[in-house]
Amino acid sequence: MAEMSSPAHPLSHTRPIPAGHHGRPGTAGVVARWREDLAIATLAARHGGEAALAAAMDAAFGLALPAGPKAAGANGVSALGLAPRRWLVLASQRPALAAELAGLGGGAVTEQSDGYAVLDLAGPEVRAVLAKLVAVDLDPAVFSTGDVVASSLAHIGAVLWQTGEEPTYRLLVGTSFAAAFSHTLLAAAAEYGLDLADAGRGPEAGRGTGRG
Amino acid sequence: MRIPCPFCGSRDAHEFSYLGDATPRRPDPAAPGAEAAFFDYVYLRDNPAGAFEEWWYHAAGCRQWLKVARDTRTHAITGAVLARDVAAPAAPTPAGGETAR
Ligand SMILES: [Zn+2]
Repeated sequence: MAEMSSPAHPLSHTRPIPAGHHGRPGTAGVVARWREDLAIATLAARHGGEAALAAAMDAAFGLALPAGPKAAGANGVSALGLAPRRWLVLASQRPALAAELAGLGGGAVTEQSDGYAVLDLAGPEVRAVLAKLVAVDLDPAVFSTGDVVASSLAHIGAVLWQTGEEPTYRLLVGTSFAAAFSHTLLAAAAEYGLDLADAGRGPEAGRGTGRG
Repeated sequence: MRIPCPFCGSRDAHEFSYLGDATPRRPDPAAPGAEAAFFDYVYLRDNPAGAFEEWWYHAAGCRQWLKVARDTRTHAITGAVLARDVAAPAAPTPAGGETAR
């Protein structure tokens, strides 16, 4: 089966699944795409510095830091609430994001662009597939656009963000888990068919090519 | 068992790790009888059947410590608060600076 990753390779499970169509033939139930064009940083307010940081983020990006596990975005910059006074900030077209955030002076910043592997997920069965993987209710009555969950998927720490109503999601896992997670995703999505638009990170993948 | 994290919402207990009794308070090391008080603080624990307050760490979620109220007979959880909201107040902030952590 040319469309499946080869089980014959002794290290096949350590490499991300290849780009292309996987699982059930026909129209894919899940469409996935690695994003390697995003700058990522964690931002934590210092003790007593939350109000100053919120004001600085508003002034710099027009962005209101969310108080709970939500996403807020403005001007191509998004902040996801991961914990009290701690956010994950993502941006496209801003390679110096971490330096920009550090320049605000109101929080502790850690560059994470290479720390996370990012998958954008869509397709008619994407909610059903994610529901297999995460022990959090994704029903639209309780989890909708702009909601964020930090949890574990198949024992892999992950951040899941619903980015659109269709629904669409953005999923982040630690870079070193990206290959393993791609196999988990395939196992969950194979019954519906999975289209992966980009082979993504891995030993053979090009880095810093600005793909996506 | 599900634990109602104040930040993340209701989550499976597998996302958390358990520390134990949330009631012991660190004794004053300068007080008379400090050695005996520290022995109690470090080693001796009650084992109540019924209402209990305990520390849980939300390792797979917000990575915050929680103080959880649980009935040890039924595992019914009646509440959870962030440890940072019930911990002793931080030392005063030096003029013009951040509090040392
Ligand atoms: Zn939590």
